[in-house]
Amino acid sequence: MKKWISIVTLTILVMVTLAACGGNNGGNNASSSAGSKETTAAPSETTKASETTPAAPAEVVELNFWGDWGGEGQKQFEAMADAFNKSQDRIKVKYVLQQDMITKFLTAATSGGSPDILFWDRWRTSLYAPKNVMHPIDDFMAKDGVNAGDFYDEAMKELSSGGKLYGLPLTVDARALFYNKKLFADAGITNPPTTWDELEQAAIKTTKWNGKKLEVAGFSLADNGLFNMYLQQAGGTILTDDGKTNFNNDKGKAVLEYWDRLLNKDKVYKVGFEQGLGEGTDAFATGKVAMTYTGPWMLTTYKKYGKDLDFGIVPPPAGPNGDKGSGMGGFGLVIPEGSKHQAEAWEFIKWWTGTKEGALQWAKMSLNLPGYKPALEDSFFKDDPLWKPFIDTLSFAKIRPQHPGYSIMEGDALVPNLQLFQQGKQSAEETLKKAQEQGDRLLQDNATAK
Amino acid sequence: MASMGKLYRHQARTGYLFITPTILLFLIFTVIPVFMAFYLSFTNYDVLSRMDWVGLDNYQRLWKDTLYWKTFRNVSYYTVVFIPLNIIISMGIALLLNFRKTGVKLFRTMNYLPTLTSAVAAATVWVWLLHPEFGLVNALLGYLGIVGPAWLAQTETAMFSIILVTLWQSIGSNMIIYIAGLQGIPDYLYESAKLDGANAFHRFRYITLPQLRPTTFLVSTMSIIGALQLFDQAFVLTEGGPANVTKTPVYLIYQQGFNQLQMGYASAQAFILAVAILIFSFINMRINKSEESVV
Repeated sequence: MKKWISIVTLTILVMVTLAACGGNNGGNNASSSAGSKETTAAPSETTKASETTPAAPAEVVELNFWGDWGGEGQKQFEAMADAFNKSQDRIKVKYVLQQDMITKFLTAATSGGSPDILFWDRWRTSLYAPKNVMHPIDDFMAKDGVNAGDFYDEAMKELSSGGKLYGLPLTVDARALFYNKKLFADAGITNPPTTWDELEQAAIKTTKWNGKKLEVAGFSLADNGLFNMYLQQAGGTILTDDGKTNFNNDKGKAVLEYWDRLLNKDKVYKVGFEQGLGEGTDAFATGKVAMTYTGPWMLTTYKKYGKDLDFGIVPPPAGPNGDKGSGMGGFGLVIPEGSKHQAEAWEFIKWWTGTKEGALQWAKMSLNLPGYKPALEDSFFKDDPLWKPFIDTLSFAKIRPQHPGYSIMEGDALVPNLQLFQQGKQSAEETLKKAQEQGDRLLQDNATAK
Repeated sequence: MASMGKLYRHQARTGYLFITPTILLFLIFTVIPVFMAFYLSFTNYDVLSRMDWVGLDNYQRLWKDTLYWKTFRNVSYYTVVFIPLNIIISMGIALLLNFRKTGVKLFRTMNYLPTLTSAVAAATVWVWLLHPEFGLVNALLGYLGIVGPAWLAQTETAMFSIILVTLWQSIGSNMIIYIAGLQGIPDYLYESAKLDGANAFHRFRYITLPQLRPTTFLVSTMSIIGALQLFDQAFVLTEGGPANVTKTPVYLIYQQGFNQLQMGYASAQAFILAVAILIFSFINMRINKSEESVV
C-alpha cells in the first residue's frame, strides 16, 4: 500500500518536473503553435507532413513570420502572407503574433525554435547584428540583382552593421508639422510656417489663454525627444562620429533658447498640457493644440474626425540658417540566423518589400509609406496632399545615430535635463553641460554590443 | 516504543513525499535562478553570444552609476512616505468598518474595489484625473480658487502623485487584513479594561495596537517589498519622468537587461536591490519587535 503511494507520487512528480522543464524552453514553440521541429520532435513532424501532403507533396516549405502587431496590423500581415502564398506554390508563410516579440526572440535564438522572418524595429539592428543572431542578406541581394538604390539610403544604413546588410525596409516614416486649418484661419494666418520665426509667430497668434488657464496651445512642446530634430534644424548633429554627444555648443544652445522663448516668453504651451491625452482625446484632434510634430501613423486617427478636424501638413520648418531636419524611423523585415529556411524567407521579404506589387498592396492597405521608392511613384502617394509633405520630408530626414547606447543616452540623460530646463530649474548652459557629462558616460557604458 | 518509531518514520517519509513536488519546483524556479543570477552578476552575459567572467567590473560600474543611486533615492522617498500612510489609513478604515451594522459590508466592498482594478488600467484613468487643465482634481481645486499643479509633469509633485495613486489602490487589501486582525482580538480584554475604567483611547493604545502588532508586521513587510519594487504604476503614470524623479531600480534593471541585453550588469543591479530590501525588512523587523515578543 505504502509503496504503491510512493510510486504513484514519484511518477507524478517526475512528470511534473519534466513538463515544467520542457515548458521553460519549449514555451515559445507552444505558443507559436506551428513549426519548431526540433523541440517538439517526432509527433509534430508527422502532423505537419499530413497537413501539407494534400497541397503539394513534400516540397512546400512552411515559414514562421513573427511580429508584434496585433489587431488591425495582424489582419494586414495575414493578408500579405496570404497574397504571397497565392502568388507561388513552394512557400507557405504563416504570421504568428508575439506580443513580447523581442524577449521571445532572445530565448528562441538561443534554444532553437527560431522564426524564419522577423518584423523588425530597425534601430535595434546596431545592438543585435553584432551578436550574430541575424543573417546578412548581401549574397541574396547580389544573386537576385536587387538594387539597393531603390530603397531609402537612411533606412538601409539603419539595417546595416559592420558593412553588412541585414534586412530590407518595410515602412519609412518621418515627423512633419501638422497644423489646424480652422485655427489658422481664425487667427488670420494664410500660409503654414516654413521657418522657426514663422512657426513662432503662428504659435503666438493661435494660442488662447483664459486667465491662468491655457485653452489652445499654439504649438506642442510636449516631446523633448525631438531635440535631435531641432538640433539638425539648427545645423548640428547629436553625436560625433566617434560616439560622443555633440550638443553642448552654440547649436544646442540655439535650440534651448528657441524653446525658452516659445514656452516662457511667448507662452504658447504649458508643461504637462498633453499628458494623458491619448487617442480620442488627442489634443491636436480636439483643437486644443494648433500645431504639432507627428508622423504618418496619426493620419488614420485624424482622418476619422472628418469635417471636425480640417488639417494640413508641411515639412518641418527650417532653422535660423535654413537647415532642415527630421527624424526617420520605421520597420524592416529580417531573417534570424537560427532560421532553417533562409533562402525561402528571403523570397518572401523580397516580394513584400522589393516589388511594386507587394509594397503597394501593403502600403495602401495599412496606410504606411513603403521603403521601396518606385512604389512611391504611384498616384496613391504622389497626388495626395497629405502624403506629399512626408515624401518631401523623407528626402532630408535622418535616422537616429547607430550607437547601441543612443536611446539610453536620450532617455536617461538628455530628456531629463531638458525637462528640468523646461520647468525653469536649470539654465541652458547647465542643462547642456550636465546632459553631456551624463550622456557621454551612458554612451560609453553601453557602447559594446558584441 | 519500536512501533512508535516506525510510525514516526512512516509519517516523516510520507510528509517529505508530499512536500517534495513543491520544494522541487521552488528549487528549480526560485533557488537555482537566484544563484544563477548571482553568478551572472560577475559575467558579461548577454543571452545571445557571450558569458565571460569579468570579476567585479559590474559592481565597480554600479558604484559609479549615479542614475542607479538616484532611482534608489526615489524609491526610498516613496517608501518613507508611503508605508506610514498606508498603515495609518488602512488601520483607520479597518477600525471604522469593524462593526456589525447593516450596510457595513457595502462600505467594505467599496473600499476594496480599487484593489480589484488592474494596476495599469487604474493608472491610465488617474493620468486623466490628474490632467492639469481638464482633469477632475484640478477642476475641484479650481472651485476653491486654487490653480492646481501639473501633477505628473512637475518634478515637485510627480512622485507624490504616484504615492497617492498607489495608496488608493493598496489600502483595500490591507484594510481586509486589519479587519481580520481586529476580529481576532478577544472581547474579554476590552471588557475587563472597561471594568478597570479605561477609556476608548486607552483601550486602543493598550489593547488594539499591541494586539495588532503581528498584522502590522505583515502589512509593513509586504509594503516595503512592494515599494522597493515599484514599477508598473510609475511607468504608466510618468514613464520615469520628469527629470528622472520617478525612475525606479526595477525600471533600470529591465532596461539594462532586456533593452540593452546587459544581463550581467542587470543582475548586479538586481542583487543590490535584493540586499536593500533585506536591510529595510530587517530594520522593520527590529522596529516591530522592539517592545515585546509579538507571537
